[in-house]
Amino acid sequence: MSQPTDLSASSRPLRKVIPWLELAILGASLILPAFTDDFWTLFLTRVFILGLLALSFDLVWGYAGILSFGQALFFGMAGYCTALLATEVGITSVLVLLPVAGLVGLIVSLILAFIVILGRRVPSTVFVALGTLTGSYVVERLARGWSYVGGQNGIPSLPRLTLANHEIAEGVWFYYMALGILVGVYVALKFLTRSQLGLVLAGIRQHETRITFFGYRVQHVKGIIFALAGFIAGLAGGMYAFHEGYVGPGQLSPVLSTQVVLYVLFGGVGTLIGAVVGAGVIEYLTFMLSEQYQRLWPIFLGLLLLVIIMFRPTGLIGFLVSGRERIGSFGRPGDSAPENDAAKNPP
Amino acid sequence: MRNDDRSKRPLSASRRLFLQRSSLLTGMIALGGGSYLYNPKGVWAADPIKVGIATDLTGAISWGGIPNSQVAKMVIDEINKGGGLLGRPLQMILEDTATNEQLAVTKVRKLVTQDKVDVVFGGITSSMRNAIKDTIVNRGKTLYIYPQLYEGKECTPYLFCTGPTPAQQCDTFIPWLIKNGGKKFYLPSADYVWPHTLNAYARDVIVKNGGEVIGEEYFPVDHNEYSATVNKIMSSGVNVVFNTTIPPGVAAFFKQLNEAGFQKKGGRLSCVYYDENALGITPAHEIEGLASCLDYFKAINDPFGNQLQAEYGKLFGDKNPFTAGSGATGMYRGIKLWEVAVKEAKSVKREPVAAALDHAKISDGPGGGCEMVPGTRHVKMNMYTAVSKGGKYEIVEKSKGPVMPGECA
Repeated sequence: MSQPTDLSASSRPLRKVIPWLELAILGASLILPAFTDDFWTLFLTRVFILGLLALSFDLVWGYAGILSFGQALFFGMAGYCTALLATEVGITSVLVLLPVAGLVGLIVSLILAFIVILGRRVPSTVFVALGTLTGSYVVERLARGWSYVGGQNGIPSLPRLTLANHEIAEGVWFYYMALGILVGVYVALKFLTRSQLGLVLAGIRQHETRITFFGYRVQHVKGIIFALAGFIAGLAGGMYAFHEGYVGPGQLSPVLSTQVVLYVLFGGVGTLIGAVVGAGVIEYLTFMLSEQYQRLWPIFLGLLLLVIIMFRPTGLIGFLVSGRERIGSFGRPGDSAPENDAAKNPP
Repeated sequence: MRNDDRSKRPLSASRRLFLQRSSLLTGMIALGGGSYLYNPKGVWAADPIKVGIATDLTGAISWGGIPNSQVAKMVIDEINKGGGLLGRPLQMILEDTATNEQLAVTKVRKLVTQDKVDVVFGGITSSMRNAIKDTIVNRGKTLYIYPQLYEGKECTPYLFCTGPTPAQQCDTFIPWLIKNGGKKFYLPSADYVWPHTLNAYARDVIVKNGGEVIGEEYFPVDHNEYSATVNKIMSSGVNVVFNTTIPPGVAAFFKQLNEAGFQKKGGRLSCVYYDENALGITPAHEIEGLASCLDYFKAINDPFGNQLQAEYGKLFGDKNPFTAGSGATGMYRGIKLWEVAVKEAKSVKREPVAAALDHAKISDGPGGGCEMVPGTRHVKMNMYTAVSKGGKYEIVEKSKGPVMPGECA
């Protein structure tokens, strides 16, 4: 798509694929529980929650160019905090726990943002990547060693979330709750990334110095996006802990953070739907491959991910969607000037 | 390896079914009509009893998970050869928990909600047990049997533990160590739950038997530089090192301790998870005289254990040996005890089986017979103390009868 010939494409009307893809996935998700057994309902609920986590990474990396290896940190911290609220204080209301989960993610990400993003010097991508990775690693080690939160063993047997004295059992109810939250966050992010702020983000991702010269405080914008992504990851972490019924240091670990990076790279970075698709496809592949090849599946999975990411840097979405649509456009249809600039330099 | 999902593939399923049916028919013809006509619940006529095995076939703990899965397969095949249980064959459904608690919950969910297994065996680390137990026992309403030696304190209803507890690994062992080492103990440990809890118990037993703890020290799980600790041990006249540091760092620790001359000066090294498999971690001379206390060693040389070993070796080779430290002996015990309980309960439903399992007993097993201690969901079993000599264990003491688990009483 970087060939000059592509420029002529901008005069042709763009046939959009992503809205159809989004509608198809949403429609299928809405009716699936009627056709699948309990296991797949539980499986998909988990995918939605991980999809939410993937969205948070897609937002920071695909839109703001912040390579965060710390998304699991917000995810896990929110999981631990809500788990403690449930086991120590006895609060199980979803109306309290999920906002708290998001808030924990927000606060932790703000703290981390002050350290790695909002410093006096403009941090490089690698600095942020290593900073977040270190944060995630440190907190995981602390959690493993701290007996109050169960150390290595984590906090088992969490109660179920409740809504006005009703337990939200994992299954159909939890499924629709997770789907609802995912769709809500997705739509909000869709608006955000197509707003003026989204335009600034696209600018930052493509050419940070230029945006600085326009007078934007690039680091502040990045900090805001980082904290917002932390909020989303926290929300996902709270739901995850109660859906799986336990929280452990694995949920904080750099391993999970890296897995989230894979979801997004595999699905298609910089497209919101790609993050969700990536999470779903990788989780499904992991499950099916490990069913079929019980001793060798990690090798097969690794090779597959490697091949896709090497030969399709735009991810799975790149098979379906043109580069132009993937990058997107701002403003009214027809005002297609900015998009070509972006399309020439995909992230 | 897999014996559950073939049925999902239409082609091989029908072929297999055809082979089964035709061999059944051949058998019926050969035996004559009477034998099956009066036995409507013949082995192939009934639904199988589903046995879920969830263990770490890949990842850091696969050294333990692979023998666990192999022992399970061996025992289940053997039960099937003997006609199954309650006239029904057993179907083993194996899932890889991949040393990854996140993935494990999904895997165990598949066993419980999709396969609807009648019992789940598995988990090796305590973190794995903690991650999956709620999905199995509380949310899944299924029986769970955990095979590995562990720190105790697991008293969840419907969760039965068939591996040794701190009481079983300390009660006979520490008096022996005091007699054959000395009174001054040092407890170098990895910093996670099992060493902390085990040490707390060991400390009590040491003090009760007139010993003293000179030092108790915790290192990160991947620590491998122990010279300061070795200096402390050498300079404070410690007689017994009761080690709970873990591989890979443990190799460095044992080497440094040996080079400092701990054993030469009459010190006694001990480590309760060290089985035959672990002897290979370090050169034999570095751990000469290391003492361990487990529910089974090959060196016991009992006919029943030897037969099991021979059978296991024939089926799976010696790459992933059948030892106590991986929970493989606990897996054997667990399945056999469950078998006895199902026979007594005449059902595979959770309530009656759990009630029967509460006092189940087997007369033979690796290391001898064993039985559940009613009301505790833990097993009392024989314990053996062994000392490493030239890279092989020699049994130096056997407990006088089964040792009580001392949990959940």
